[in-house]
Amino acid sequence: MERLNVLVCDDDTAIVDALEIYLKHENYGVLKAYTGAQALQALAEHEIHLILLDIMMPEMDGLSATIRIREERNIPIIIISAKSEDTDKIAGLNFGADDYVSKPFNPLELMARVKSQMRRYTALGSIALKSGILKSGGLELDRAGKEVRVDGEIIRLTPTEYGIVVFLMENLGHVFSIAQIYEQVWNEPSYAAENTVAVHIRRIREKIEINPREPKYLKVVWGIGYKIKKY
Amino acid sequence: MDTKLRNISCSGRAKLVAMIIVWLGFLGTMGSCLFLLQNHDIASSSSYTEDYSFRSNFATLVHNVVEYHVLLKSEDHIKNSGEDGQTAADNLQRLHRIENKLPAMVNFIYYVRNTETGETSTNLGLETADPVRFIQKQPARAFLNGWTSDASIPLFGNIEDMMAGRPYEVYAAVVEPLQAGDMFYDSYLDYTRTKARTDAATILAIIAFVLMAAAFVYLIYITVRREPEGEGATPRPTWMYADVHTVLVLIAAVLSLSIAIGTSPGLSNALTIVALAVVLSLDIFIGLTYVLSMARQIRDRSIFTNTLLYKLGSALRAFLRLAFRGKGFKLWILPLLLGYGFANGLLFVLFREFYHLNEPSLFIFLLLIVFNAGVVYFVARSLVALPQIMEAVKEISAGNLDYPLDSTSIPVNFAAFAEDIRSLQGGLQKAVAQAVKGERMKTDLITNVSHDLKTPLTSIINYVDLLQKEQLENKAAAEYVNILEEKSARLKQLIEDLVEASKASSGNLAVTGEKVDLHELMMQACGEYEEKIQQAELDLHIQTAAETVVICADGKHMWRIAENLLSNVGKYSLPHSRVYIDIASDNGYGSFTIKNISAFPLNISPEQLTERFVRGDESRSTEGSGLGLSIAQSLTGLQGGKFQLDIDGDLFKVTVAIPLWAEE
Repeated sequence: MERLNVLVCDDDTAIVDALEIYLKHENYGVLKAYTGAQALQALAEHEIHLILLDIMMPEMDGLSATIRIREERNIPIIIISAKSEDTDKIAGLNFGADDYVSKPFNPLELMARVKSQMRRYTALGSIALKSGILKSGGLELDRAGKEVRVDGEIIRLTPTEYGIVVFLMENLGHVFSIAQIYEQVWNEPSYAAENTVAVHIRRIREKIEINPREPKYLKVVWGIGYKIKKY
Repeated sequence: MDTKLRNISCSGRAKLVAMIIVWLGFLGTMGSCLFLLQNHDIASSSSYTEDYSFRSNFATLVHNVVEYHVLLKSEDHIKNSGEDGQTAADNLQRLHRIENKLPAMVNFIYYVRNTETGETSTNLGLETADPVRFIQKQPARAFLNGWTSDASIPLFGNIEDMMAGRPYEVYAAVVEPLQAGDMFYDSYLDYTRTKARTDAATILAIIAFVLMAAAFVYLIYITVRREPEGEGATPRPTWMYADVHTVLVLIAAVLSLSIAIGTSPGLSNALTIVALAVVLSLDIFIGLTYVLSMARQIRDRSIFTNTLLYKLGSALRAFLRLAFRGKGFKLWILPLLLGYGFANGLLFVLFREFYHLNEPSLFIFLLLIVFNAGVVYFVARSLVALPQIMEAVKEISAGNLDYPLDSTSIPVNFAAFAEDIRSLQGGLQKAVAQAVKGERMKTDLITNVSHDLKTPLTSIINYVDLLQKEQLENKAAAEYVNILEEKSARLKQLIEDLVEASKASSGNLAVTGEKVDLHELMMQACGEYEEKIQQAELDLHIQTAAETVVICADGKHMWRIAENLLSNVGKYSLPHSRVYIDIASDNGYGSFTIKNISAFPLNISPEQLTERFVRGDESRSTEGSGLGLSIAQSLTGLQGGKFQLDIDGDLFKVTVAIPLWAEE
């Protein structure tokens, strides 16, 4: 199998070096850049499958670089930035980044995200949509095989958890309250003080999400209910 | 002390006595003087012959004697005189009257001699040898001869006309000592009686006056005398202004004087005498109190300050001083007012002058109305601006700093005032803007610092993680790395909380009001924290209201509040205790209350607990930034809610109340 290359671009060499160690540990080829301009140059000279990009850099900042890259390429871009405001994240994603990780990040989480993006990028178009498969981004529900996959990896769920995922996947983007989920999945009337649903949802998130506190698929709508986001 | 008291009471009694003496003395003096004034001729005379009635009687009798003996003589003489009938009849009547009258005058003697014939007539008895000498010895006597007269008592003027050219000598006198029986005796008795009275009255007047004067001087003395220290220091308040008092006293004096003059002719009447006495008594008391009051005021040197004029003057002075010094009064208003009054007065005068002329008076009347209407219009127009300014001030004080106060629509006399208020408004706006800017700068600073902290922290976390993956042979080193990992995670949490706390407290955070079901929220939150609560070995009870409680809040912020509170519950609760969450709605607010038993003694006030970086455990041994409650409180406030902490022993109670969702 061809070795996948990741371009790491940050003006902080220590971070770049640490990420190199982690990425090499995951068997990725690593290219290093310290400014936006260097990143663009490296991108032109080498075959690169994913970019980790800082925002605040000299010569060319990460957002400008993202715009320039997106003019020609659709490789995954993960922004790593100390800017953790919602507005920063939204701006980064709008400029064309695929993911946004704020510093200080958990290296394992970052690696998970890199892998996730890489799988989707490399598997792009290879998986034909089979009937009976519900899909939202990297989350797949195979009702025939009773399987849930995230970025192609099978997730092991309990029957109740599976039931909840099926119910939410069948109604993608729709918000359901705890009581509604309970009645649908448990198939019996709901009583007020039931937080079993909430506990199950948390467990599902821990299994399917890279960072359960910032879920990508199974979203909490506080005070209203839960939904699986439609991608 | 005793003597003093007695002195005071003595002086009080003495004062009363002195006043009565003055009163009686005055009445006596006035009464005697009036009596003397009425009988001034008698009083000033030395003998009864000077009495007016005596003299007129004497002169009349002398006249009668001359008329009888020189002119009329006898009935025959009248008949032969050739006078016409009427005159003769008159003369006859007179003759008889005198004939009847003369003999009754027992004290009157006369001796008439015709110098040509030597014939005499007299009422003297023959025993008088020399009637002429006898007569000339009497004090009241008269001698008339053709051309001359010599009398101790003035006679009527026409008596000489009667004597002129006739050869007669007339001697007449009133014989002393007088005998009872005629009017000379009566008037003599009258005179002697009255004379005695006037003498007594004179003495009475003098005595009364002296007494009065003495008592008066005494009164003045005790009034003016410095009273014993203390009492004299504070001038006794006078009940009347000195000048008003003076005017009133003068009016009373003039009134009583006119009464006295008016009644003096009827002094014989007892009623008028009593009335006069009453009036005079009133006068003396009015006058006495006046004089004493004046004396006291002179002593206190307050006579000028205690006048109405002085008071009015000083009030005017104070007003003028205030007016000219004060800022509320503009000097140019004074001539303006005067000018207004003058113009009005002029127009009125003109109106009066031309009153009888129809057209000019109508014109002036119209002018008057137009002038006054104009003045009222201008005054009203300038006053109209006042409510405008007041409204602006009210708005500004209510916090609406952008309330526009249009100075162009404000008349010139309030323009400066409006401008001042505008600059005040500007100052406030600037201050508020600066405060907001300062708060934002603080938040920005914290955000920027946190960015700068995050980059090195990323490396620390990464390399600590890498270190952990290395097979460290030194066990202690492995332990150290674990501590490093724990603390770097804590540092990360702190930085995030710090940014959030600064944003929440400065209000630099977007809040979207959505429908949030509190029960759903608490269930979700408890679902998230179920594991930690189980780890802490706590028993969670959720008690919910019968109906759903839907509030208007930002779900994410509500989650953050619940998260912070539940995380505290997990961290600080006593193991094996129960935790209660109550959901309720009350009075327009939906609320949830979390109650738990603290594992540590909470010897700290609720106010201190919500301060930033304050934690229940002073040692800070447990994890946490100390910002959780502060953030929860700020976020509650941002959503228009109420955040309340109660500590009762080890019971820790938090209530978060948010306005209920209002369907529109």
